[in-house]
Amino acid sequence: MITASGLSRSFDGRVAVDGVSFEVPSGRLCALLGPNGSGKTTTVRMLLGLLPPTSGTAEVAGITLPVIRDDAKSLRARAGLLTETPGFYDRLSGAENLDFFARLYGIADAVRGPRIESWLKRLDLWDARDRAFGGYSKGMKQRLALIRAVLHEPAVIFLDEPTAGLDPAAAREVRDLIADLRREGRTILLCTHHLGEAQSLADLVGILQGKLVAFGSLDALTGSAGTVEIRLDRDPADLLPMLRSVPGVGELASSGPLLRVATGDPERVTPRVVSSLVAAGAGILEVRPVRVSLEEVYLRAVGAGGGAGA
Amino acid sequence: MTGSLLLLFCRKELRDLRTNRQVWPGYLILPILGLILPVALIVTAPLVSSAVELDPGIRLLVDTVQRDPSLTGATIAERLARLIMRDFGLWFLFMPVVLAAGPAGLSIVREKEQRTLEPILATPLGDRELVLSKLVGALGPALLWTWASAIASYAVSTLAAAVQFGAVIGPTPGNLVGIVLLGPVLAAAASLAGIGASARFIDSQSVNMFVGVVIVPLTLIVLGVAGRPAMASPVLGLAATGMGLVICAALFGPAVRKLRREELLTRWR
Repeated sequence: MITASGLSRSFDGRVAVDGVSFEVPSGRLCALLGPNGSGKTTTVRMLLGLLPPTSGTAEVAGITLPVIRDDAKSLRARAGLLTETPGFYDRLSGAENLDFFARLYGIADAVRGPRIESWLKRLDLWDARDRAFGGYSKGMKQRLALIRAVLHEPAVIFLDEPTAGLDPAAAREVRDLIADLRREGRTILLCTHHLGEAQSLADLVGILQGKLVAFGSLDALTGSAGTVEIRLDRDPADLLPMLRSVPGVGELASSGPLLRVATGDPERVTPRVVSSLVAAGAGILEVRPVRVSLEEVYLRAVGAGGGAGA
Repeated sequence: MTGSLLLLFCRKELRDLRTNRQVWPGYLILPILGLILPVALIVTAPLVSSAVELDPGIRLLVDTVQRDPSLTGATIAERLARLIMRDFGLWFLFMPVVLAAGPAGLSIVREKEQRTLEPILATPLGDRELVLSKLVGALGPALLWTWASAIASYAVSTLAAAVQFGAVIGPTPGNLVGIVLLGPVLAAAASLAGIGASARFIDSQSVNMFVGVVIVPLTLIVLGVAGRPAMASPVLGLAATGMGLVICAALFGPAVRKLRREELLTRWR
């Protein structure tokens, strides 16, 4: 549903996004993590056809990027966007604001009213529908913006920092709504720098620092980033010198029958370690990855990514 | 581009105007002056005509009125009243220019300030549609207000003239062509220039200043030079309207080209 291939974008020679490639299948929620200025918003704008990429291509909801004029309109009709700030007219009521944008998205007269009513009720804004938007609380404003992003039933939804600046209660409300959308099977790209948000919502996680420095499922990222624990049928202390010669093996530690192997590439190195142990006559009882927190993965990745972002 | 989309922006601007106190002064003062000034001038016309000996300027005015074959009437005062009714039509060419150019100048920059521009650019709306919508959004309320004011003003002035002179003195055909056609075209030209400026400026104060110091005065100079002759007859009014349409067409392209989405999204602080 979203495929980016080598997407890059520079501003006046300064690289903001550098060769980003990833794929988000239909019905999945992908969280793009990264510090401020890491290129998340620029990536979303490119994927939405609002900014042309300097190089690279992408495909979003069946539309190939960079877009030509008519495709740009089709793409925007098939995608919803929640910007970091809600972006509504303060003097118009919540319902009037939604009606305005619904018309811009070309939602037919017959379904527009009932659909707006249904969403306002679902997000507990019905009673406030006739109040001026300027008088809404931050949480209400963000919920209204979320309605706008989904009102035209887009195939893909881009959520750019949806909980930025919200108090914990309001942020939770918005996260619950995103979780609902995910359960409904919508394809969502969520830009955030809240790791907890990504951990609780995302099927896939990408870490952006100008370049995409990590990408994969949460399990793969937190399980692949470090140490493997192997339980043997005996104390492996005498095998440690032999294991140090296995390519890719980092630090080794043993405690009773437990052996811990640190490696940067567990998928390749673990089978080699297991083969060496078996060849040395050790019995393998269990092999499991030692999970690290997403925070640790993030900090390692961002530290490794350097400062290409903008 | 559907008419409903244009109406949508027009309606949004009207809803916004209801509660926007910044635009109220213009929307209140201009119609009030448009109502009071011609009536006051008509009511005081006999006094003016009787004060010929007091002031050379009044003498010149009275001579002009007497020489102008289009100003008929039993008395000089009645002729003066006809002159006032005819020339005050210029007020209703001036009104839409002033009322529309301001909102047009703010049309893009205010979206940026309210952070509503990106959500709008994220909809399927095209550049031409956006400029046209902004034009209609600025022009619609201004024209509706101007026409309503003109109808009220001419109704009251005609009544005042009937009471004063016992004659029906209403707007000329040239007035009607000017108010219905030429005024909107002039206002559209000023608005398109305002929208183009709005897409380039980064804050509302700068664009307000540009509209107030450059666009409106330039339009008023054109109005001052061509407005009176254009209102002298319907044919001249139509010709001036045609020229105005050509100017609008010439301004539309640059206004669309100035709407560079990329710059609007990235080069605004």
